[in-house]
Amino acid sequence: MNIPHDSATKHVSGQSVYIDDILINSQLLVGRVVYSKHAHAKITKLDLEAAKKFHGVHAVLSYKDIPGHNQMGPVVHDEVCLAVGIVECIGQAIVLIAAETEEIAIAAEKLITIEYEPLEAILDIRTAIEKNTLLGPVRTMQRGDADAALKKTKHIITGELETGAQEHWYLETQSCVCVPGEQQEIIAYSSTQHPSETQAIIAEVLGVGKNEIVVETRRMGGAFGGKETQGNWTAAWSALLCHATKRPVKIRLFRDDDQIMTGKRHPYLIRYEVGFDDAGKIDAMKVEQNADGGYATDLSLAILERAMLHADNSYYIPNILVTGRAYKTNHPSNTAYRGFGGPQGMAGMETIIDRIARTLKKDAADIRKLNFYGIDKDNITHYGQEVELNRLHVLYDKLINTSEYYARRKAVNEFNVKNEFYKKGLALTPVKFGISFTTSFLNQAGALVNIYKDGTILVNHGGTEMGQGLNTKILQIAAAELGVSNAKIKVNATNTSKVPNTSATAASAGTDLNGMAVKNAIDTLKERITGLFAKEFSKSSPENPSLQENIAIENDLIFDRKNPDRKIPFDEAMNVCNFNQVSLSATGFYKTPNIGWDKATGWGKPFNYFAFGMCVSEVMVDTLTGFYKNLRTDILHDVGESINHGIDKGQIEGAYIQGVGWCTTEEVKWNDKGHLLNHSPDTYKIPSVQDIPEDFRVEIMQGIPNPNAIRKSKAVGEPPFMHAFATWLAIKDAISAVGDHKHEPKFKLPATNEVILLSIEELKKRH
Amino acid sequence: MQQTISFVLDGKIQTLTFNETFGPTTTVLNFLRKSAEHKGVKEGCAEGDCGACTVVIGELNTDNKITYKAMDSCLVFLPMIHGKQLITVENLKQQKGVTEVLHPVQQEMVDCNGSQCGYCTPGIIMSMFSLYKNENNPAKESIDDALTGNLCRCTGYKPIIEATAKACVNNGEDHFVRNEKQIVELLSQIKDSTNSIGINTATQKYYQPKTKAEAFEMRNKMQDSVLVGGATDVALRVTKRHEVLKEIIDLSNIEELKKCTITDYVIKFGAGMSLEEVRKISRNELSALHETLSVFGSRQIRTLATFGGNLGSGSPIGDTLPILMAYDAEIKLQGVDGDRVVKMNNFILGYRQTDRKPNEIITSIIINKPSTNTIVKFYKVSKRKDLDISTVSAGFSVTLDKNKVSGITLAYGGMAATTKRATEAEVFLMANEWTRENIEQAMPMIEKAFTPISDARSGAEFRSVVAKNLLMKFWSETSNQK
Repeated sequence: MNIPHDSATKHVSGQSVYIDDILINSQLLVGRVVYSKHAHAKITKLDLEAAKKFHGVHAVLSYKDIPGHNQMGPVVHDEVCLAVGIVECIGQAIVLIAAETEEIAIAAEKLITIEYEPLEAILDIRTAIEKNTLLGPVRTMQRGDADAALKKTKHIITGELETGAQEHWYLETQSCVCVPGEQQEIIAYSSTQHPSETQAIIAEVLGVGKNEIVVETRRMGGAFGGKETQGNWTAAWSALLCHATKRPVKIRLFRDDDQIMTGKRHPYLIRYEVGFDDAGKIDAMKVEQNADGGYATDLSLAILERAMLHADNSYYIPNILVTGRAYKTNHPSNTAYRGFGGPQGMAGMETIIDRIARTLKKDAADIRKLNFYGIDKDNITHYGQEVELNRLHVLYDKLINTSEYYARRKAVNEFNVKNEFYKKGLALTPVKFGISFTTSFLNQAGALVNIYKDGTILVNHGGTEMGQGLNTKILQIAAAELGVSNAKIKVNATNTSKVPNTSATAASAGTDLNGMAVKNAIDTLKERITGLFAKEFSKSSPENPSLQENIAIENDLIFDRKNPDRKIPFDEAMNVCNFNQVSLSATGFYKTPNIGWDKATGWGKPFNYFAFGMCVSEVMVDTLTGFYKNLRTDILHDVGESINHGIDKGQIEGAYIQGVGWCTTEEVKWNDKGHLLNHSPDTYKIPSVQDIPEDFRVEIMQGIPNPNAIRKSKAVGEPPFMHAFATWLAIKDAISAVGDHKHEPKFKLPATNEVILLSIEELKKRH
Repeated sequence: MQQTISFVLDGKIQTLTFNETFGPTTTVLNFLRKSAEHKGVKEGCAEGDCGACTVVIGELNTDNKITYKAMDSCLVFLPMIHGKQLITVENLKQQKGVTEVLHPVQQEMVDCNGSQCGYCTPGIIMSMFSLYKNENNPAKESIDDALTGNLCRCTGYKPIIEATAKACVNNGEDHFVRNEKQIVELLSQIKDSTNSIGINTATQKYYQPKTKAEAFEMRNKMQDSVLVGGATDVALRVTKRHEVLKEIIDLSNIEELKKCTITDYVIKFGAGMSLEEVRKISRNELSALHETLSVFGSRQIRTLATFGGNLGSGSPIGDTLPILMAYDAEIKLQGVDGDRVVKMNNFILGYRQTDRKPNEIITSIIINKPSTNTIVKFYKVSKRKDLDISTVSAGFSVTLDKNKVSGITLAYGGMAATTKRATEAEVFLMANEWTRENIEQAMPMIEKAFTPISDARSGAEFRSVVAKNLLMKFWSETSNQK
């Protein structure tokens, strides 16, 4: 099915309402956050008096004014809402201001005196490793004996890879409006991926029951993981100001402040040692993943876990040891970002394969195929899960042909012989991505489906819409499960008073979990409705009663399959239900079955299933400037049976391009004081329309249904992000051509034109 | 002088007086965001880098028709839309009874799955609309250029390009065509009453003269005032640094500054011409200038930014500076004391310092068309190819007599506090053969000539390496080496 995004006409006509667009009465106050200008410092003086007296200012709050717990940490409680005596990163909130206008708030901020005594700051992962500032325990996952196998293996490569941070750059910055109700009540309209947690944190900082707080999220203007926990901050701050002033308060972070204050994708330093035979088959691998967690734990440990679970990407490695460490540094706490550690883990693995190929002077695509997980054997991961329904081989066999890989490899080589200043590169990379929250209990979802007497349906579920089309898919699922037309259904804004205690919309699992919960609610309603109409239809002919099992709902009609003349339009039927005292409101619930693993031993089945994909990318590098051009990219991706082809394709294309941004132009740099240098789109460069492949071919693999998820579909949000590795490694292939592929080029992620050019210069000197 | 401004919005003339709510440097974006009916216009960055705030400005042209131009509303001060039509995303659809009829660009975006989170979409729709009104069946290159100023983080752009191409196939009728007569009438009404504008508020003085003579007088009286061409640079002082600009002279409404004269040998550009107009005019005979401007900002920015404004800012990374050095262009400065012409090569004095005297205004840029044996090229190195500020830029020109160099300019931006020439390399190459050997000898001289800085854009080493490599690139392209 291919229906447009359920908000598409609203998007294109400017009628979609985001947080900043909500019409609030004239009592609205503007909230402003005063944050630390030091990466690590003691606050020696904090004087708010002048600001408090400024005309038009309604509240100036510090940690002393927090009525509940001064705590925001979603897992580990190591993040204060407002700084107490010490600041640990630039951008950490110290004071909140509520004022009648933004101008007044800005003027008031200038009247606040904060004095600091700077302390030693740790600003990069290498220093953190040296000082051993671990955020959590050292984790390992292993199978076989990597050390012993490395002693026996034919070839050994060691090395390290740096991967950079990535700013989410959602178009809508962090925003929340809090509206006071009676006494303690607050309704928070929040741009959050996790309304239940936002609700919990507001309740905790205010010291009130969660039943006093309602969080509502209609849609986000992009999130990408950046609003999984980071949305809680603006929500808690505006709630504090709302609580203090008893007026509606809005905080919408200015773009530069958003970039300075919020966490990013974790930079990683990956060290590896790999052993392989003459053919390129891997015998053993040791990988150490070191994550820059920023100043607090946030989700760093779960992200590290997923990175470790994806250290193998798509390859069977008989002897493997993966060690993971997350370190504290004095940057804003790094956080969830599309892929959630998976990209970092897989970047390490793909670098290793690329290096094996260069060492053996073989085509890297062949090395990849050689090491893919098998179908019947060599199909157990390093954490003990079987790679069931392995699609790697079928995808490879198709894509290697449709992309004309080998012919183009030949053409690329010929081009490179003939050209000195331009070099081409080509690469194929696979994706295998585990679907489920690896913290198993989070794999649950709720729904509330209301049918009204006119036959219209309002679907509530715990997931949030951030552009990924979740609500559209939910609408399609609800229509298909209930047997009514799409037009009857509306998917409501996510609201914690409708569906409580939900998990974040994350881990690509939004449709899998919430779709099933909605189905569950609809199953309940169908049971009630068909029960009633079995009785109703039987009234006229008691001698030949209608059986409930034969009552069907299809195409807006309720009928008896055995007696098709016994029928009633759905709309009319709902009035009959009400008249007969049948409840037309039902909750639904779902928890993913058959998963579970032992985090301590790193063994078990963390994932419900795997999503697969493959990509071939060809680039041309200007060896004099380091610019690259994305000439052609072919993606073949597995989404099971697509619920919505247009939306799935949009996710695949968009994720790939976002991945290309991370791998190429999106560079996050800090100076030696910890100040973020790229704090606006002036210097932080996400892909523009001109950066997409000149020839961009995206195909959804047909005929591979997924038995483990709603309507045989598969999660799609994150897996295609990693297709960008094909482009990243094609760039490396082009650089390598400068030295006739005889030397290993210096390379890292992102491969900016600076990285590319300096790598080429170094190769020229060696060659 | 007139204290109020008037423009057409939602089919009506709106007249605005300035007060506490709206000052003369309030941006069009902030004006629209304060109205309940125009929340579709979004702020994504407030610096012209994302395009979420794109609106279309309709201007009455000399044929009594309306010209439609997409602009970043976050960079436009309210008085700059005086006498014009302001079109927002809300104005595109039509209500027919209970049904809404979408504009073709909107309908194609829906049909092609061109929106995901939807936040960038209103701005993209307006860029598409502007293209729709200006080009029939645009080439891929033009579609890309029209959309470069709009960042989308969700889609990967492919469906947006597709939607734009489809909407602009044989595009014709829309309700803007049908209502044009009526809008032209409204715009003519305002235009007839348009005077020079002088706005005085408690904190700001804002002047928008209509003639050069008025501008010179004002400038002479207020030599510390901020001169504004298109405000694409100055607006950031307001939107990002929250500065209150006390005195502003806005040159955007002086027709005399927008004239271009082309003779057999010389093109004289009015300093008030937008960079987009300069780009179009320079396509054939000043191709390097055309190339420069094709990777300069975005269409929305180039439509606002003026030639004189970019020069006047004197920024070391202002991309028109090195290329004007390569063309050996001249700058005409005028004021109450008369006028004078300065060579571009003598115009830049220091970091954001120019030879312009406080009471002078840049009025034109004069470029001699290069002779047939002169090759001029522009190179820009930036992290992202488009809509990015140069890490290093270079304007090169070489005149070859057979294969011998008889004239050479190697001007660099981004390598020092000012745009600067690599003099030693120029001297070495002059009167020498234009060969690879000589180029390779000159390259280290370029590296030696500069001590660039490391910053958010790149490290110093990259700048040094790429600066010398650009000379090799220039040679390879002038001698057809691959």
